[in-house]
Parts: sequence; C-alpha cells; structure tokens
Amino acid sequence: MRQDKVGTIVINSFALLVVFGMTYQARSQDATTPYPKMAPVEQYLMERNAEIQLARSAAPDSISRNATILILGPQGYETAVQGTNDFVCMVGRAWGAAFDWDEFWNPKVKAADCLNPQAARSVLPIFYLRARMVMAGRSKAEILSAVKAAFEKKQLPDLETGAMDYMMSKSAYLTDQGGHNLPHLMFYTRVKDGKDWGSGAAGAPVMSSPYWFFSPNQQPQMKGLPPILVFLVAVTNWSDGTPAGEHNE
Amino acid sequence: MIQPAQRESGTASQRLSEEEKAMRKMNIYTSAIKNLAPLVVLGMVCGAMAQNAKTRYPKMASVDQYLMADREAEIALARSAAPESIARNAEVLVLGRNGFETAVKGKNGFVCIVGRSWTSATDEDYWDPKVRVPMCVNAAAAHSYLLRITKITNLALAGGTLAQVNETMTTAIAKQEFPPMEPGSMCYMMSKQGFGGDSAPHWPSHLMFFFSDTDPAAWGANLPGSPVVGIADSSEHLTQFVIQTQRWSDGTDDPQAPPHVHP
Repeated sequence: MRQDKVGTIVINSFALLVVFGMTYQARSQDATTPYPKMAPVEQYLMERNAEIQLARSAAPDSISRNATILILGPQGYETAVQGTNDFVCMVGRAWGAAFDWDEFWNPKVKAADCLNPQAARSVLPIFYLRARMVMAGRSKAEILSAVKAAFEKKQLPDLETGAMDYMMSKSAYLTDQGGHNLPHLMFYTRVKDGKDWGSGAAGAPVMSSPYWFFSPNQQPQMKGLPPILVFLVAVTNWSDGTPAGEHNE
Repeated sequence: MIQPAQRESGTASQRLSEEEKAMRKMNIYTSAIKNLAPLVVLGMVCGAMAQNAKTRYPKMASVDQYLMADREAEIALARSAAPESIARNAEVLVLGRNGFETAVKGKNGFVCIVGRSWTSATDEDYWDPKVRVPMCVNAAAAHSYLLRITKITNLALAGGTLAQVNETMTTAIAKQEFPPMEPGSMCYMMSKQGFGGDSAPHWPSHLMFFFSDTDPAAWGANLPGSPVVGIADSSEHLTQFVIQTQRWSDGTDDPQAPPHVHP
C-alpha cells in the first residue's frame, strides 16, 4: 500500500517535472497547444493582498518576511513591499517560463517564487522585461526579440554564481499537469550539461532544463541568449513546514 | 612537515579570533541541529573544526584499522553514495596506505570514495577508525573539493593531528595551492550504509554543494524552516550547502525525511 502511494507521488512529480521541461522529451513542436494565445490581461492579475501572501509563501517565513515583494500590475512587476534581506518574492506567470512551453499563455499558472540575492540581481531583470512586454500585449516573438536585444546592449546582467530560488509554496499552481505543484529549489547555472549534476539519471533527485527553450530543436532561436541551465531539487517540506505529501490537491 | 610548535604560535588576538570563529561555528551548528541534526558534522570537513574540542579518540589508530581489507566492499560502499545510474559509470577511489588510489576508471566525470574520520566526522571522532562515509562528487567538485579531501587524507595517514591538518590546509589555501571551488561543484551523499562516527552515526540522505567565499545567508541557509543548511569556513574559503533528499540511493524512503505519503 505504501509503495503504491509512493509510486503515485513519484509519477505525479515526474509528470510535473516533464512539464517543466526537466527532460528533453519535450512535446513535438506541432502538437496542439491548449493555450495558443495570450488570455485577457486581467486573467493574469491577482488581488493585491492575495498576491503578496502567495509570493511570500514561496519560502519559509524566516526568509520571506524580510523579502522585497513584487506584484504584477498593468505595466509589469512593481514593488509592493520593500524588503531588507535582499531576497525578492513574487508570483511568476507561465510566460516567465520557457518560450516553447505549451502552457506559456496559461493564465492559471501562479508560481510563487522567492529569489535569492544573486538571482534577484541577475535573473529578475529578465522577469521584469518579459512582464513589461506581456502586459503591453507583445507577442512571444517580440518578447524574445526584446530580450535578445537587451542582452546585446548589455542592458541585462550576466548570470551570477549561486543564483537560486525557493518554490515551496503549498498554494502555488505550477502547471495543469500532475499534482500541479511540488516544493523545490531551483538553481540557475552556466553548467553546460545536466548530466554534470546527475540530472535525469534514474533515482537522482535532480532534474534540469534549459532556461529559454525546453526542446533542443529550438537551439537556433538561442542565438543571442546566454545559455542558462536550471536545476531543480525537490525538497521534503512545504514552506509552512508540513511534509510535501500532506498537500491536498 | 607539520611542526607541533606551530600550534602554539600566534598572538593573543589571533587566538581570540580562532575562539570566536569556533564559537560562531558552534552557533551555526546549533541552528543546523534544529533543522537537520545529523548534518551538523558536515561542517567539519576541511578543517571547520573547533580547536579545543574534546575527543573520544585521542590518538591515531593503526593505519590498518582505517583501511578496508575487502577492496570490492569498499568499491560497493563508495558507489552506494549515488543512485546506481550515476555510480556505475563513476571513477572509484579506495584508500591505501598512502592515500586514495584509483580502483575503477570512470567515464561520467563523477568520482566516488569512502571518506574517513578526518574528513567526514566531528572533531571528537577525528581519529575514529570505524568512520566510513560514502560520497560521489561530480566532475567540478573532483577538480576542486576532492583535492582537499585527498590532501587531508594524506596528511592524516601521515599522523597529522586535527590542529596540524587544519593549519597546513589553511596555509596551503592561503597560498592558493588549491583551486577555488569550481562552479557547479556538488556531490551525492545518499547512501543508507556507512558510519559517520559516534556523534552522528547515520546521516540522512542528502546532496551537497560547494562554493568559495559565499555567505550562507545568500541561500537562506540555517533559518527556521529552510531546507538548506550552510556552513562557511572563512579560513578555508569554503562554503558548503546541504539539502536533504527524500530517498536513499537505492530508491527506498529515508525514514529521517518527513513522511512522503500521497493523500
């Protein structure tokens, strides 16, 4: 019985990781996407206090209570609470993930995320730019082009060593797939091959994905973008301290 | 060669500084204990050790007691640090009288070893000949972190005490005789076997990440509820982060991890 339950969570977690592009078994490029275009802007927005609360739930209170909190407004992310520990918490939307994710425009995705100082300095500026573009109604191609231009003009910083974030919210909605959620930490690296961390190996608690595009078929579009490989390590508890398996879906 | 007299050298302020460092480490450990008790010992690697710790093992045992007579058993134990999918293609080192030596050539960049007391136990257990701690480091860590482990092992096998090894390593690192931690350095410590010493006999399954001169606070380490334990040693310019994992390398649940039962 216990084995069955463990198997279920493994399968659900694995499905979730696949959706995050944590394997290269990405869906085919011509697959029908459930979210072919941007939803109305208001579907991406949240009630201010609810968004602050959800953002903070990404990390244990000992971290998030002193973090800067961002909320998504009509012009992009804006500071709702100024923090003191250099962490930044926010609620990521689907369009902050890989450009070839078939849930890219999924308005249900609310990914609570607390970035550490290195990520706040070097990854967050990318989020800011993408959010501004989306809220201005720009297409995926236009956003991608703007990001590349910003890197070319050195308007976006290089990735800092040690950039990572907390995604441990019990209340997040990360994907339509599986259990919709999984407490984990993410690490942004310049590592070239996920296998260098044992990513994807059977039994390994580490998964990885390229930041910009899940599919290796999209590599031509990578021109002008700095390679970033994101590692995911599942953790055992939600941010409120309860064990991961106790989340009622 | 380490000179015992060196241990007595240094000004009063330097000695005070050492005591303060030791105290600071103890505070970190106290915090870590609340989160992940057995992992407190991880900070002891590479000399993150209080100089005045009392010891259950006051002197070195015979070298034979630190070795494993069964070479195949040591290889299997080393490999148990990581899932078989990683360990089967890893290089494996075994401990000989003069240090670690290659027993199995690898092809995936990982290197698996069984750490002994001087690198993998608390100060109190520095000379405990029973300690056996499997670890598989990735290629980046093999190029940086593992060099320190093998050097400490050589020094200890030559009879170097805790204080002597600490001083030697601190000096060597200050002279840049060892490279900084290579970006992406990490290791697997997911074996359900092994023995960490009397202070922490059985460690939970975990991963470790190695950085040079990184503030543990930058990862939110050691705070209540954080899944990250971080230990920084300024003298070694080394910061180690520890993240507990749900399962052992053989895929079974680690009972020290929170229950992971799907509703």
